Amino acid sequence: MKSKKFLIGLALVGGVAVGFSADVPTPDQVKQLKEMGILPSDVIVDEGNDYFHNLKGPNGKTCASCHGQDGAKLVGAYAKMPRYYKDIDKVADIDIRIKACMTKYMGFPKDKKFKKKFTKKYRVPLAGYVATLSNGMKINVTLDDPQEKEMYEFGKKLWYQRVGGRDLSCAICHEVYAGYRIRLQKLGAPVRDKLYAHWPAYRFSKDKLWTMEDRIRGCYKSYFLYLGKKWDKKKDWVKKPPYYMKELVALELFMKKAANGATVEVPGLLR
Amino acid sequence: MKKVLFTGLVVGLGAIVACQAPASKAEQKAEKPAKKMSKEEKFRAALAKQDKYQKACSNEKQLIPEGISIEQFKKDMLATIKYPEGGVVGDWKKGEKLFGDPKKGGKGLGNCYACHCGDPSIIACGNIGPSLTGYGKSGADPKVTYQRIYNPWSVNPCSAMFRFGVHGILSPEQIAHITAFLHDPNSPINK
Ligand code: HEC
Ligand code: HEC
Repeated sequence: MKSKKFLIGLALVGGVAVGFSADVPTPDQVKQLKEMGILPSDVIVDEGNDYFHNLKGPNGKTCASCHGQDGAKLVGAYAKMPRYYKDIDKVADIDIRIKACMTKYMGFPKDKKFKKKFTKKYRVPLAGYVATLSNGMKINVTLDDPQEKEMYEFGKKLWYQRVGGRDLSCAICHEVYAGYRIRLQKLGAPVRDKLYAHWPAYRFSKDKLWTMEDRIRGCYKSYFLYLGKKWDKKKDWVKKPPYYMKELVALELFMKKAANGATVEVPGLLR
Repeated sequence: MKKVLFTGLVVGLGAIVACQAPASKAEQKAEKPAKKMSKEEKFRAALAKQDKYQKACSNEKQLIPEGISIEQFKKDMLATIKYPEGGVVGDWKKGEKLFGDPKKGGKGLGNCYACHCGDPSIIACGNIGPSLTGYGKSGADPKVTYQRIYNPWSVNPCSAMFRFGVHGILSPEQIAHITAFLHDPNSPINK
């Protein structure tokens, strides 16, 4: 933990040294940082690597006990996610899949307390690490299972669904107005431009690695979803969907399928 | 039992959205279980609260689909608009803060700079909507300006600009202040 903070500090100093202020580092600057070996996103992935090999469940197993040293048996797995898993009988994204492994096979309790700890502490580093095991491989989400097909259609419906106090949909921002600016932020086109290839992504502005679950939850906040008669900032703004909801997996599957053929290059680096 | 209450809630809320009538006693009752809902249930109920106009816009083009009359849609939207007692043109200085306070980098309740440029001194402005710099000189009718902020879909169905008044994000008085900000010759929009 100490080393992480230290390294991030270094990265920021390094950042100033190579000349970027608060905004997007240019590809050259990122390359420089990479060569110096101080990308803060790498530190988080390293933390995941550490958990993968050394974090023991109550029954003594680690992730590596099942998936091999250096995740040998998980190479390419992320390129096909989300997908249907028979052992848990559901379509899972990377966050859900890892959580299921920890409770089902490593003996961690299936209670609220562990869920919270997983969400806050283990989820992002482990997801980041497992995702990097597919770097350089092509995204290949298939819809072979009927549950996957259903999930995809559900995701598509959510993508176009205008809803909430701001009458928004994913599509209005990321399809109709993709390329335009919201204030100073450029709206990307995750579907058209296969942006899933660089997720999970590290955001310099927040100093955080985010999985796609985090990203979608953040976007839903802007919808101003509400339950009462009128939207009310203080009272009943339904800000974000909780983690691991089917709705998140569905949108992930929809966007990832659109990214088929793109090469996984993670963690991505964003402003 | 829980399920029954939940369905009742969604239907109840749907009805409120559909007719925009003041909540009756029965509806207020229906809203109560909201506190007992899980976060998942709340999120789903909020998604299910989609009104029929939002539904109409929820297609791949994000526009009114064929088979629905645009004129009727606009009429329905016009009928949602409530007007403030003091008229549609309020106090431009108050409107400036609501549109986006220059002291807060152009942020404010209306969050208009997210999509529009306006006061030329605010550089952090979006381009999803047209620039509103000089808007008051365009000869637009303030009543129409008021209407298209209260409910943009009364002019431009399924527009990305949301129905501020319908959802209660801005009150009629606040929308009148913003209208003044857009029309007043002394406002930085028109200088
Ligand atoms: C009001 C506009 C808005 C809506 C609606 C919206 N987003 Fe976003 N989205 C943004 C902005 C702004 C960013 C970029 C933020 C940043 O710069 O970090 C973003 C970023 C993203 C990205 C990352 C793009 C990249 O560069 O890799 C994805 C993926 C995404 N959104 C998915 C969604 C999904 C799925 C939905 C619907 C549930 C959605 N968004 C709804 C505004 C929106
Ligand atoms: C999510 C994006 C968005 C936001 C936020 C937004 N607008 Fe708009 N606005 C648009 C778009 C798109 C148009 C053009 C289509 C239309 O008229 O609906 C528009 C059009 C307008 C027009 C008509 C311009 C003309 O040339 O006739 C006015 C006036 C206006 N907006 C004012 C406002 C005000 C005031 C606010 C804040 C209270 C606001 N807008 C917030 C997207 C937005």
